[in-house]
Amino acid sequence: MPADIVISARGLAKHYGPVRAVDGIDLDVHRGEVYGFLGRNGSGKTTTIRLLLGLIRPTDGEVTVLGARIKPGVQSVFARVGYLVETATSYPNLTVRENLDIQRRLTGAPPRAIDETIILLRLDRYADRRAGQLSLGNKQRLALARALLNQPEALILDEPVNGLDPAGIVEIRKLLRRLADERGVTVFLSSHILSEIAQLADRIGIIHEGLIVEDLSREDLHERSRRCLIVGVSDARRAAALLDRQLGITGAEHTPEGVLHVFEGRERAAEIARLLVTSGLDVTQLCLAEEDLEDYFMRLTGGAA
Amino acid sequence: MFRQVLLTELLKLRRSQITWISWLAISIMPLVCGLFMWIVREPERAAQLGLLGQKAQFTGATADWPGYFAMLLQTVGIGGMILVSVIAAYVYGREYADGTAKNLFALPVQRHWFAVAKLIVVLIWFGSLIVSLLVEGFIVGALLKLPGFSVALAANAIGDILLSALVAWLLVSVVAWIAALGRGYLAPLGFTIFMLVLGMVVGATGWGKWFPWSIVPLFAGVAGPRVETLAPGSLAVLALAFVAGVIAVICQMRYADNTQ
Repeated sequence: MPADIVISARGLAKHYGPVRAVDGIDLDVHRGEVYGFLGRNGSGKTTTIRLLLGLIRPTDGEVTVLGARIKPGVQSVFARVGYLVETATSYPNLTVRENLDIQRRLTGAPPRAIDETIILLRLDRYADRRAGQLSLGNKQRLALARALLNQPEALILDEPVNGLDPAGIVEIRKLLRRLADERGVTVFLSSHILSEIAQLADRIGIIHEGLIVEDLSREDLHERSRRCLIVGVSDARRAAALLDRQLGITGAEHTPEGVLHVFEGRERAAEIARLLVTSGLDVTQLCLAEEDLEDYFMRLTGGAA
Repeated sequence: MFRQVLLTELLKLRRSQITWISWLAISIMPLVCGLFMWIVREPERAAQLGLLGQKAQFTGATADWPGYFAMLLQTVGIGGMILVSVIAAYVYGREYADGTAKNLFALPVQRHWFAVAKLIVVLIWFGSLIVSLLVEGFIVGALLKLPGFSVALAANAIGDILLSALVAWLLVSVVAWIAALGRGYLAPLGFTIFMLVLGMVVGATGWGKWFPWSIVPLFAGVAGPRVETLAPGSLAVLALAFVAGVIAVICQMRYADNTQ
């Protein structure tokens, strides 16, 4: 395995009776990369994360993290890993500082790491407050603080921005990006929020019904995304017929709002505009648009996220 | 690393409400025994106050130090066994009920250390409670000015109560396994109640010394005539139950899927 691969899965599967939660996935995450793991609810994201962390045992296949094959009894590698699985949980009767102290003792991090992480996650106002009294967003921050406390080389995060307000989401996104860019931390994060993944990830894996149906870089996404010419026109149905009959442009789609989406022949924008205007139609909009991750994801998985 | 695990487990216990609840529960035991002694000694005054005069007479208890120690031992035999099981159910079950078990299982710590450290923490806390019970028990007995005290009698009673508590603790490894298996408090608490009833029933038969949950009640004199010394067979059964429980809880934590 190449030295720069930090997280690797081969033929990874987890079946619960007839339910194939994860059904034989392969993935490689390289050092310093932010890998976005995208999928609808119940697609197998959290099961995959549990498998990567050894919290559940695979039905088939194997996982390697930082060169160590994950199996029962292999624990030392987790000194270099930070993680968050699903809901952010902590000991409700213990303060933020005490919760982090437990993590520090168990990961072998130095004592100063507690204060540093509290400041990093902006938890200083709540450091001596019991975790059970924190807001949902601050509970999430505490869980992230726990994941970051031991300055991990790899971060495995399941829905890391759950419960955060918009400013918090931006802050955590920037933090994760900075960790990857400046410290070479490898980040594997799952989400069902497309915009989150689109803005942060270098590479995106799309999981659907337990299978990775797409594994693509940001550049790949750009290349594979459908682009179209959007034409706002007074009579979209007639416009589509004109394009077909007079310019040979087929497959133009019109929306109920009277907007025409032209895929093939979209580079002939000037010709199209001239034809529509000379045919007596009012053209109110003419722009080139690219399918975003959300559209791409929906097209791939056949439904809403 | 085990030292760090133990320290974190102690911190969790120190901050939890079970410490105060269990201390309160154990504190009541000598007071109840003392009240009983007073009722036995002064049944007319107790009856005038509407206390359990008649019932206390039926127990055949005597209002002296031997009778008082026997009552304390019986209390530890049943109450202590329930209490230590509740503590164990909490210490193990809360990690699952609060969803924090998943935070422990992908750390650079072998998972079996958590199982062992929790068992030791339960022992430390339950031991402290028993010491507290003994101290309070002596104070209550002294305040009642019970007759028949001797150092030898006290030493014997302390030994019996400590042994009874130790035997009750040996059984919590199985409770711990049930908590890990059932991922919460309810299963181990249900299991404890069921085994306690079963222990009393089996204890009333001739097979009690072979059934782990009958041994404490028999030794404490709760399930029929008191068995004053534990037979080697009973000790072997207890050791076997303890070891089986420890292995089971370690295997559960190490190999079972954690789908929290």
